[in-house]
Amino acid sequence: MISNRQEDQDFAGEVATVAGLSLTCCPDPKIGVEKIAAEEPAVILVDGETQESYLAFEAAIQEKIGLFSEKVNPNFIHFISTEGLEKVQYLIQSPLFGHFILRTFKDNAKEAGQHYGKIVKAIVEDKIFGLENFFKPGTKVQSVKLVVTSQKPDAVEAVKNYLMAAKFQSRIATVISNAVDELLMNAMFDAPVDNLGKPQFSLTSRATVIKLEGKSGVEMKIAYDGKYIGISVIDQFGSLDKAKLMSHISKIYRDEEYKVKSTAAGAGIGLATVFRSGGSFFFASEAQERTEVTVYFKRSENFREFKDQFRFLSTQFKF
Amino acid sequence: MLTVTKEQKGNALHVTFSGTIEENVNFGSLIGPAPAELFITLKDVPRINSVGVKTWIKYFESVKANGTKITYVGCSSAIVEQINLISNFTCGGTVESIYAPYSCTVCKCELLSLFKIEDLKKLNFEMPESKCVKCGGKAIFDDIPEEYLSFFVR
Repeated sequence: MISNRQEDQDFAGEVATVAGLSLTCCPDPKIGVEKIAAEEPAVILVDGETQESYLAFEAAIQEKIGLFSEKVNPNFIHFISTEGLEKVQYLIQSPLFGHFILRTFKDNAKEAGQHYGKIVKAIVEDKIFGLENFFKPGTKVQSVKLVVTSQKPDAVEAVKNYLMAAKFQSRIATVISNAVDELLMNAMFDAPVDNLGKPQFSLTSRATVIKLEGKSGVEMKIAYDGKYIGISVIDQFGSLDKAKLMSHISKIYRDEEYKVKSTAAGAGIGLATVFRSGGSFFFASEAQERTEVTVYFKRSENFREFKDQFRFLSTQFKF
Repeated sequence: MLTVTKEQKGNALHVTFSGTIEENVNFGSLIGPAPAELFITLKDVPRINSVGVKTWIKYFESVKANGTKITYVGCSSAIVEQINLISNFTCGGTVESIYAPYSCTVCKCELLSLFKIEDLKKLNFEMPESKCVKCGGKAIFDDIPEEYLSFFVR
């Protein structure tokens, strides 16, 4: 853990406990990177609050190890920041970027650490595929296979009904079902690529009815442990592009006009909305094999708490 | 699925949307020829997905370009969120009123209060308390005022 903030260290302590790791804290990036070079830790948490603090870390990595060394796999690096994704472009564009943790844990560093610890544990144990790996043992996971794109509205409605039955606020249930809508649409229309990696449906209207057979099959999984809900959407293409993904997800349309592109059928704004609404993401992709995108939300009594919840964005890319 | 009810009042067409706005929506065929003035009531739009947003902007930008005066009435939370997130979501139209979400501090039920924009602006982000229609308990604004009303300061 490279940070001099007590709350980060409290958070990291819980993460380490849940993930079964030992914790070493280094306030100084230089000393921290020396330890990384010597010990090759399984997980690296870094305070990425300011561009200066990030650059100090990057410079130390470059000097001691090398930015593109195998010892600094972005899949193991977790940046923590109080600022939203759209304000930390220096992290998003960094070759070291793997995970982003929004420092909204305040006095709940312990609870947030316990939740995030499950994610880290799955990563460390190389169990990045499978929703069950992110929940406590025994949590029921339900699965739905979609065989045609026209089933999407029913699947989204089913998720909303499931949440309403679990006593989620209707506005919260709507936000979550909208997130599922975006994930399903991405899996159905954006994930499919041909043998050369060329997108198959980039110009196809999202209202088109397409059979989801064989490699085009799309699966949705839901798990709810009474506190957190996780919903995964799985495709068999493994075509997720990290740079494009991060560009879409961190883009803001508040200050500039959203230009409607007639050359693309998708809108490219869905995932950014989900993260700002309180959702966390876990993107796991194995090239040409499989992509599994999971959204997590904590159940909240009201929308204020829901919107302000602890959240993260994790990426795991295997080539 | 989105359904539409229409009422012509002089030069103005009053349209009420009800349902989800997504990839199957065709505003052109639902609304018909663009009138001189268009009032869109949006209370019953619970959800709009990203392709719905794209279709919305494409349609209302073309309507605006043809000289139609657009007014959005009773915008739901889903619409308010898009107005906040996307600078050109209103496509040059005027937002007349929005629904503000409230939650009861006693029975936890969700409530909605309709506010005219001119009245909201006078509140300076201090949303008033309300009373639960079900149990009579205190109901408070259930969002972050500076975020829910962020389009005021754009």
